[in-house]
Amino acid sequence: MSVLELDRLCRETLRDHAFRKAMQTDPAAAIARYRLTEDEKRALLAGDVVTLHRMGVNDFLMGYLARFSICGLNIQTYSERIISAGPGGGH
Amino acid sequence: MAHIVAAYGLPHTPFFPSKVEEEGPSSPTGVMFGKARDSLAAAKPDVILIFDTDHYNTFFFDNFPILAIGIDEGFRGPNDEPRGGMPVYDVPSMPRLAEAIRDEGVRSGFDIATLRDFSCDHSVMVPLHFVNPGMKWPVIPFFISGHVPPLPPARRCFELGRQIRRTLEAYPEDLRVAIIGTGSFSLEVFGPRIRLGFTDGVPDPEWVHEVCRYLAAGDTEGLIAAATEDRMHAAGNVGGELLNWIAMLAFTDNRKPDFLDKQMENGHAYAGWRL
Repeated sequence: MSVLELDRLCRETLRDHAFRKAMQTDPAAAIARYRLTEDEKRALLAGDVVTLHRMGVNDFLMGYLARFSICGLNIQTYSERIISAGPGGGH
Repeated sequence: MAHIVAAYGLPHTPFFPSKVEEEGPSSPTGVMFGKARDSLAAAKPDVILIFDTDHYNTFFFDNFPILAIGIDEGFRGPNDEPRGGMPVYDVPSMPRLAEAIRDEGVRSGFDIATLRDFSCDHSVMVPLHFVNPGMKWPVIPFFISGHVPPLPPARRCFELGRQIRRTLEAYPEDLRVAIIGTGSFSLEVFGPRIRLGFTDGVPDPEWVHEVCRYLAAGDTEGLIAAATEDRMHAAGNVGGELLNWIAMLAFTDNRKPDFLDKQMENGHAYAGWRL
């Protein structure tokens, strides 16, 4: 598990505008610089925030993916998905 | 000695500056911040001490203190991409006083990390934007970890406030000090308890009412007893921001607030005490 790497990646979408752009246009290439497991890459690229949440990724940081429309997410799809994790569905 | 002249509890919702810019100062949010701004101006402070929880911008998980203080001539913010309605400010500070707070705190058993050459996010800058126009008064930020388990106990945060108060009251300069604690009581941000189509939600409105009952009654002991870690997390993933209010309450001597306004749609409140 590389939860710290995922948390870092999410935060960089706020701080590094070139990385944000890369995540919006070619996320599979953009995430190469992060040391992620195959499961983590798959969940991230699918915008599967429920799985990421259950892996322990910080919700607040994960929200940047929705805010900046990354990996198919926006506020609507993000909220639909994360709500399905349920109040006891995470960490 | 320094004198505590006022204390405030305030929210820091990131889009409030743009909201009030659009809706005007007579909008509910504009009016509620306006009460604190007018009260603070009348208190004529020389310096503001603000208790705050950083949102992973000043700190990150690779270096994550439970308690920390900013000690420098000044700082910048917000450092997390403003949502409109406010510029990036340069805020003056008061490093010698901040150093005294750190030194006496550590010697009294509070392990306070030191920040130098730092910036702050919206959680410090939004309340300052509304109550410290032009950033004319110096500000000392004090950070309390209030989001990620394990949280420091409410009792410990109150005792921290008392310790800082002792330092201020023994400080050799004649200064007028205002205290701010900032944060929500019940709020979930980007977690499973948000509202559909929104970035946040208020999972536990009853807790907001309960916290406000303690505040209105000046019952700080009751609030500390009720504010267990489980209770705060149950109120939302930023529910621990209440700890910033509890540290601030160490300066109010259990007095009833001069004003207390709930904003239920955001799970928070505005309160003020002239002291």
